[in-house]
Amino acid sequence: MMWLQNFFNFRLVSEYAGVFAEGIWQTLWISAVCLALSLVLGTVLALARMSKNPLLWRPVAGYIQFIRSTPLLVQIYLVYYGLPTIMPSGMLFDEVQSGIIALTLHTSPYMGEIIRAGIGSVARGQIEGALSVGMTPRQTMRYITLPQAIANVMPPLLGQTAVLIKDTSLLSIIAVFELLGAGLLMFSETVVATESYVTVAVCYLGIYAMMLVLSGIVQNRLGGSAWQAN
Amino acid sequence: MEWIADKWDIVVQLYPFMLKGLWLTFQISIISIAIGSIIGFVLGVAKTAGSRLLNGFINLYLHLLRGSPYLVQLYIVYFVLPSTGIAWLSFDSYTAAIVSLSLYTSSYVTEIVAAAIHAVPSGQAEAARSVGMSKFRTYQHILVPQALKLTIPPMASIYVIVIKSTAVLSVIGISELTRQGEVAIMRMPGDIMFIYSLIALFYFIYCYPMLRLSKWAEGRFGTFGGGDR
Repeated sequence: MMWLQNFFNFRLVSEYAGVFAEGIWQTLWISAVCLALSLVLGTVLALARMSKNPLLWRPVAGYIQFIRSTPLLVQIYLVYYGLPTIMPSGMLFDEVQSGIIALTLHTSPYMGEIIRAGIGSVARGQIEGALSVGMTPRQTMRYITLPQAIANVMPPLLGQTAVLIKDTSLLSIIAVFELLGAGLLMFSETVVATESYVTVAVCYLGIYAMMLVLSGIVQNRLGGSAWQAN
Repeated sequence: MEWIADKWDIVVQLYPFMLKGLWLTFQISIISIAIGSIIGFVLGVAKTAGSRLLNGFINLYLHLLRGSPYLVQLYIVYFVLPSTGIAWLSFDSYTAAIVSLSLYTSSYVTEIVAAAIHAVPSGQAEAARSVGMSKFRTYQHILVPQALKLTIPPMASIYVIVIKSTAVLSVIGISELTRQGEVAIMRMPGDIMFIYSLIALFYFIYCYPMLRLSKWAEGRFGTFGGGDR
């Protein structure tokens, strides 16, 4: 076991256990907030994208293409460095708020496209049935189409959530303290690369493993298709 | 009018500078997708060959690469591998970028190649085997040619993922497009929003046709319901 101790100093890592726990907590709550916001915004985008009014769906389609064709890092820079230069002075988002805004703007088109596919997958008879018993189109969407759509696309939604959790690591570049930020802090104080970065990777893999377990449970409940980790 | 003239001056000034960054982005993304595709092709074919032990190792490899963020993988290749003390693992930043990005790409390609081979109707392989083709010849003449066609649409969208991932390389000092933009902003701090929008536009011009190609190829070659992002 000597080689392992030479390679990896467990005592040093245990001294930083609190820092990493704080990092994991930050990563998880930032991801949760972004997930909630991007599900809401994603649903709005999906409905707007399916509208028949070209004044509505064309800009939304353009926005989706823009987000999909540019790197997340550039989008984060646009929000964090670019936005303050065009905002009225006095209104300034801190790095956590900017990070949440950027990640939400980035994730919601992906969520929206998944939800749109889900809405398309709801059987026609369900909608016709709801309309024929006197539900308004709005009620049909709210009580019949959307719940079934979301259940149908639960596997890709979970996959996209796993991507979102990994994407929060980029926020460390704008000095948000999260899991990778904890590793960077440890590296800057101790200058041991192996312990710092391998610990970060192990923590991310732990979160990923929990996502896999969760998706297994959901898959059993819904009897849907296998989850694909993108 | 003055605003437009003003911004146009910036574009003209920065154009060669940005183009240099775009060239490096292009270079790294092409090399990485080439190497990543070779690794992914080999692992993807191996994954369908049916050995339990081999599959276990390949799945472990995929989970390791899929379960951690690319940025962390980059830090591990660039900072952790040199500290193992093995001489040939001490990469310079350019090599580290290509090694990490190739490994990351290979995880996507492996799954796509394996899924595409599975999507070829099983009767094809059974027929080939029953007329006396060896397992190798079956792959060579029957399965791989049919499967490769199916991989074209998802490969185009994976190439877009690779291009977008190169932006992260700016943190280890590779002067690709994003890094060139940061340097441009240090020189002209007044136009942050405009310069970052310009960078985004460059990426858009590069990536959007690839996404259209992927969409077009889906109509042309069909999908098998995997890997599309």
